[in-house]
Amino acid sequence: MNVAVMKTKAETGFTEGFERVVDTLPGGPNVAALRREAIGQFAADGLPHRRVEEWKYTDLRNVMKDALPPAIGDATRITIADVIVALGPLGRMEVPRVVLVNGSYRKELSNTEAAAGVSVVALSTLLAGGADAKVFGVEAECARQSVVALNTAYATDGVVVDVPDGVTLEAPVFIVHVRAGGVAQFAASRNRVRVGKGARATIVEVFAHVPGATPDGQQSAVTAVDLDEGGQLAHIKIVNDAGRITHLSNWDVTLAKSADYRAFHYTAGAGLARNQMRVVYAGANAKADISGAFLARVGEHVDTTLLVDHALPGGVSRELFKGVLQDHARGVFQGKVIVRPDAQKTDGKQMAQALMLSEDAEFDSKPELEIYADDVVCGHGSTSAALDTDLLFYLRARGIPLEAARALLIQSFVGEAIDKVENPSLRDALMEQAQIWLLGHEA
Amino acid sequence: MLEIKNLHVKIADEDTQILKGIDLVVPKGEVHAIMGPNGSGKSTLAYVLAGREDYEVTDGDILWNGESILEMEPDERAAKGVFLAFQYPMEIPGVAGLTFLRTATNAVRKKRGQAELTTPEFMKVVKERAGKLNIDVEMLKRPVNVGFSGGEKKRSEILQMAMLEPTLCVLDETDSGLDIDALKVVSEGVNALRSPDRAMLVITHYQRLLDHIVPDRVHVLAHGKIQKTGGKELALELEKSGYAEFGEKAA
Repeated sequence: MNVAVMKTKAETGFTEGFERVVDTLPGGPNVAALRREAIGQFAADGLPHRRVEEWKYTDLRNVMKDALPPAIGDATRITIADVIVALGPLGRMEVPRVVLVNGSYRKELSNTEAAAGVSVVALSTLLAGGADAKVFGVEAECARQSVVALNTAYATDGVVVDVPDGVTLEAPVFIVHVRAGGVAQFAASRNRVRVGKGARATIVEVFAHVPGATPDGQQSAVTAVDLDEGGQLAHIKIVNDAGRITHLSNWDVTLAKSADYRAFHYTAGAGLARNQMRVVYAGANAKADISGAFLARVGEHVDTTLLVDHALPGGVSRELFKGVLQDHARGVFQGKVIVRPDAQKTDGKQMAQALMLSEDAEFDSKPELEIYADDVVCGHGSTSAALDTDLLFYLRARGIPLEAARALLIQSFVGEAIDKVENPSLRDALMEQAQIWLLGHEA
Repeated sequence: MLEIKNLHVKIADEDTQILKGIDLVVPKGEVHAIMGPNGSGKSTLAYVLAGREDYEVTDGDILWNGESILEMEPDERAAKGVFLAFQYPMEIPGVAGLTFLRTATNAVRKKRGQAELTTPEFMKVVKERAGKLNIDVEMLKRPVNVGFSGGEKKRSEILQMAMLEPTLCVLDETDSGLDIDALKVVSEGVNALRSPDRAMLVITHYQRLLDHIVPDRVHVLAHGKIQKTGGKELALELEKSGYAEFGEKAA
């Protein structure tokens, strides 16, 4: 990436804008030093572009034209009722909630009492309390990416969750990011989640907007996840925004021995979304089920890029991603699975499927298996197809009109992925959310 | 009454003519069987009745209760009472059987000007009708036909038929893939639907289904035309002689 290229307006904007705001960003001197280092790295590398293999289908440098002003210490007034509206069907769930508005934690909108026995603290609170740069920490390989470096430089807030050893928290903890107000901004957040030995929890990150918010915005969210031995985490991200935002997400997950990680990404209504995830098997016999559903219309672009790194024996990985692509929307799936020499008895399966509702839609799927162990079972598959006309005929022969039959088939396609969400209220709310999206498309 | 007049059908986008002038009348209250060798056009006739798009009617007409159905979409035909039990019922992953049945039942009820069934009403009816076909309601919570055995799929078709209360039932090779016990259950389900208001067209290659669903008339279809018509004894003759008489080898 050290080709000398002209800096774009966005690159220059982020780099030069940093000095103007660095003193207003939360954290002590060592945090400021980490931010300086990160922006230096970003300045050197710039935004990733199509000549970088992992960004081959998502030319961020070309798409992200401007550096929107960073959201720092945002104080846009909104109410809990606004947040509930923003959450749609998810708003019905009575759950512990941490709310961030334009990237800043809002105590008055949050409620973490129901998360008894679990520590849920805003990053800004920790930084104000003198926490050092370690609270920002992600693995070096993750931190090296320029998008993550940009996040490190600008991250204003986030949530740090610690589920102590042996604790089970049934209620899903919601981390709700809402965009509000009429000013388009760049909001960067950083979360950390640790699930202790034998502990169990569900964490849901939601990205939405309150009524009246500008349709434009840029958001970067990085979440570092550590599962200790036998820890179980259902980790869900729901992007349900208004259509023109650029959403850059990065999860960096480390699994200890026998950990059980279930990730799900629901993405609808983002101009450009990049859902990137790395899962490292740092202990034997760990399991990960990584799934998702993405819905895109007009010129929306949803990119899922996974790296599953089986380093130790007996690991199981399952990936299922299903996308519905309408108009000239584009879906991207890059799924890389590495099975290192010590990772014998690894069992990995991957499937990416797109339902193409238009001739102009595009789905780019790139599975990559790198296998260095000899006693493994690994498979992958990818399909992209239009609605099955035989199935449509079957439904219509049973009296179901064309539009309803189409809707039912699209729902069933997406439903297969959404079924991966184990929490029933959450699963139902997501299914309803998908139906609302589909109705919008039928209209 | 079903009236098929001089029906000519070819595969859309191809020149192959499959049905070459079918004339057939099935009055309400009667069950007619269509028998014939493989490739004679039996399934084509079934699909054309249900309104599948892959076929093109080049001549003739199909009247149901005096009204041509050729221009109707498949779902309009279903609302008019036409039902095709598929030879190969399709699997619909992700759609629960109950959701499917309820959507279909209420869609046709609405089109027929009947009140839609509420959930409790629907459940009551579905339980009763599924029970008669030895179908466990738990099975209907699973996606439609996914992982079902051949017999389960055929019973599921007959349950759909029972729920939609059609007036013209077309059964395409309903006996294929069934063992004798399943055949009995399915046949009983079909016989229970026989009524003076209903016409049935039973398409089959073999006579054995007609031991259980006894037809009023039997028609032999070969080379795209009805070659012979007779009473139920015609099926027994065919069982002995095969279709050789009609220029085809018995399968």
